[in-house]
This record gives sequence, structure tokens and C-alpha cells, in this order.
Amino acid sequence: MRPKLSSRARLQTDKVTGKPIVLYPEGVLMLNPTGHAIVSLCTGAVTFQQIVANLAARYKIPEPEISPQVAEYLNRLRERNLLEMQHGNEAAP
Amino acid sequence: MNRPMPRPFSLLAEITHRCPLHCPYCSNPLQLAAQRDELTTEDWKRVLAQAAELGVLHVGFSGGEPLQRPDLVELVAAARAAGLYSNLITSSLGLSRQRLEELKRAGLDSIQISFQSDEEKLADRIAGTSAHAKKLQAAQWVREFGFPLTINTVLHRGNIERLPQIISLAEQLSAERLELANTQYYGWAFKNRAVLLPSRSQVERATEIATAARKRLLGKMELLFVVPDYYSDRPKPCMNGWGQRHLTVNPVGEVLPCPTAHEIKSLRFDNVCEKSLAWIWRESEAFNRFRGTEWMPDPCRTCEFQEVDFGGCRCQAALITGDAAVTDPTCQFSPQRERLTQFVESSQNELNGSSSNPVEMLYRQNSGI
Repeated sequence: MRPKLSSRARLQTDKVTGKPIVLYPEGVLMLNPTGHAIVSLCTGAVTFQQIVANLAARYKIPEPEISPQVAEYLNRLRERNLLEMQHGNEAAP
Repeated sequence: MNRPMPRPFSLLAEITHRCPLHCPYCSNPLQLAAQRDELTTEDWKRVLAQAAELGVLHVGFSGGEPLQRPDLVELVAAARAAGLYSNLITSSLGLSRQRLEELKRAGLDSIQISFQSDEEKLADRIAGTSAHAKKLQAAQWVREFGFPLTINTVLHRGNIERLPQIISLAEQLSAERLELANTQYYGWAFKNRAVLLPSRSQVERATEIATAARKRLLGKMELLFVVPDYYSDRPKPCMNGWGQRHLTVNPVGEVLPCPTAHEIKSLRFDNVCEKSLAWIWRESEAFNRFRGTEWMPDPCRTCEFQEVDFGGCRCQAALITGDAAVTDPTCQFSPQRERLTQFVESSQNELNGSSSNPVEMLYRQNSGI
């Protein structure tokens, strides 16, 4: 399962704050640095496990610790209908 | 109290009042703007750029029917260039494959189509014209072109019983969002409220159906149910506070703190042809009149909910009491709530008694524009 930011959403930089935001119909998410890192990896090319590994290495946090946090964040995106799940070969690059 | 100046997040660009539909619940003013008085393409481009500079993130192109403007594609491109997320709020009449392709290329982000009901005969009767079949076709095209689709249905006595079927229709059309908006009584809707107001039991049933559907569709289709505040004890947190997050620019360039602020006859609205959007947002009398909590009368002044609902809706206060600066009369603490309750109760009697003698419905008239 490789999460991909929905085509109805757009990641861009906010002109006023200079911070990353996700725009979607009738809504906006203001991203913190971790949120930005997660959303940036939701390209449809990377598996959930690879996202976890990437963030664990970047923030020097053990994978088992960061994994549930990533899962929860992705779930929140999914509940807003902002995530598409690309199914396919789990070992894909 | 000195608060930081809030930032607007959304702009409603009402680019024309012209519309092929005649819905009796339209919230446009009774006096519609004439085509010859509409802002030019260059005016709108300037407004869009200024809005983005001010912090606006979302622009809704609306009206009237925005497709009536031949420069719509150009305006969408200007919105995209300014970094705005754009939504086309349309009846879909006037939409073609070619126009959709042009809108896609110009960078339009999403499309919202109104449906008057799920069923053609009733839907066309409400719209006052033959529209439903065209809408079904247009919705299909919208999905073909990969636009996120929102379906919006205004609920009232004439279609609220069709709610389960309306939800099914939105699912069939693969809508990603469904807005079920109980009629808000402004403009033409206020004039027609005796015909439009559903009964209390209809509203309760609809609320149950919408709540269950929202749960069932979570993650698949977002479902928004706008509560009918005539039946509520608490007023709606209108616009999330006056002059806090939203701007409306009407077809002639007047800037309003909410789309129906024209109901407040004592307000004067500054025009984008004379002042910058930033000046109007920060300095204009209209935006500062009800901003924050300073303006509040009793019982709002000392109410624990003053930062929850901001005193409710100013337009509703003006329409029902004649004074925009009093507590929204839908509030249980409003000294004027009784007046509204009497209206609601008398309409229940009418619903229960005289269905054979329906009140005449007044269609929105576009003649002369």
C-alpha cells in the first residue's frame, strides 16, 4: 500500500506565513514540519514502511515508535478523503 | 480589547447575477445587478491578485450562474496564477466538454453543481426550468475530466422527504462531497419562507438520515449537513465571525463581509473600483461594524457563548427584528426568539391542516437584467 496525496488536494507554500499548506475543497491543513515530511512522501511511489523508515532515519527515532504516529496522521488524511491508496507490489521502489 | 487583524481565507466572487434558474430559495438580493454594471475582466483579475496578497486561499466563482461570463476561463487562470484554490459553484447550465477542457487547462481545482432534487420532474419544478437532465450529464463530464465534484442541494419542504434518494444520487455520480444545506432565509428565500420551511418532524428525520449517511460514507464522500437554525436553540456561528475569515465581492464590485449582507440596509459597502481589497478588509465601516465583540448588546455581551457563535447572524437579526445589531433571534436567549417561534409554530399548523391550500411560491425573476 503506497499512499498518495489525493488529486483534489494541493500542497503549496502559504504566502502569508511561508509555511507549507494543503489546500482542498472548502478546507486547508496547515502543516508542521513532521506533517510536511509525511505529506511530501505521499507520492504513490513509496510504501508505508518506507515512509516510516525515512522519517525514523531523519528524526533519529526508532521505527516502532514513529510508526503509529505516521499511521495516525495518514488516517486523519484519509478521513478527510485526502489520500488515495495505490495498491501493488509492496516491494516496489 | 486590541486584537490582531484577522486574515481572510476565502473569497466568494459573485461574477454575475444572471442565472438561467429561478429557484425560490435564492439568497441573491431581490434587486439583482444588471449586466451593464458588472465588473470587467481586468477588475476581477485585480481583485483576485489582491485577495491572494491579503491571505485568501480559496476562491469560489459564483453568482448567479458564473458560466454566463465568457471570461470565466481567463478569471480561473488568474486565480491559479495567484496561487488560489478555485471552485466553480454552478448550476452546470452552459457547461460543455469544451468548456471543461478549457477550465481544466486554466487550472480550475474543483466544481460544485447544484441539484434541486434527485428526480427530474420535482427538480425542474423547483428550478423553474428544465435543468435536471443537463445536470446529470454535466456531472458525468466533470468526473471524466478528473475534477473533484461537490453536489449541493438546498433542502426545504418541497424536497426534504427525498433526502435518502438525494444522497444515493450523489453516490452514483461519484461526488466527493455532498452539501445538504437547509434553506437559509435571506433574499428570495425569506420572501418564500412560509412555503419553504419544513416541519419539525421532517427536519428531525432528515438530521438522522444525514448523520447516519455521514458515518457510513466517511473517507469516501464528505457529507455536510447545514442545520436549519429556525429549529435550533443556538444560532449558527455565522461566517465564523463578522470580518474574520471571509470576503464576498458582488457583481458590481461591492465588498461584503458575507454573501447576504445586502440585507442590512444601514450598511454601505465600499467598492473595489475605488479602494483596495486590503483597505476594505481592514478599514471599511462595513467590515468593522460587527467585528469582534465590542458591538455586542445584551444578552451576548455577557454570554459564555460569545466566542462560540459570535452573536449569530447579523443579516437574520436585521431581517426578523429590523435591527442588525441585536442578538440573532434564533438564539434561545434572544428577547425576540418568541417572534420567530410563533412563525415556526404557525407554519406547523399550516403544514398539518391545509395541504390542500398551498401557499403560492414566488420564483426568482431575472427579467430586466
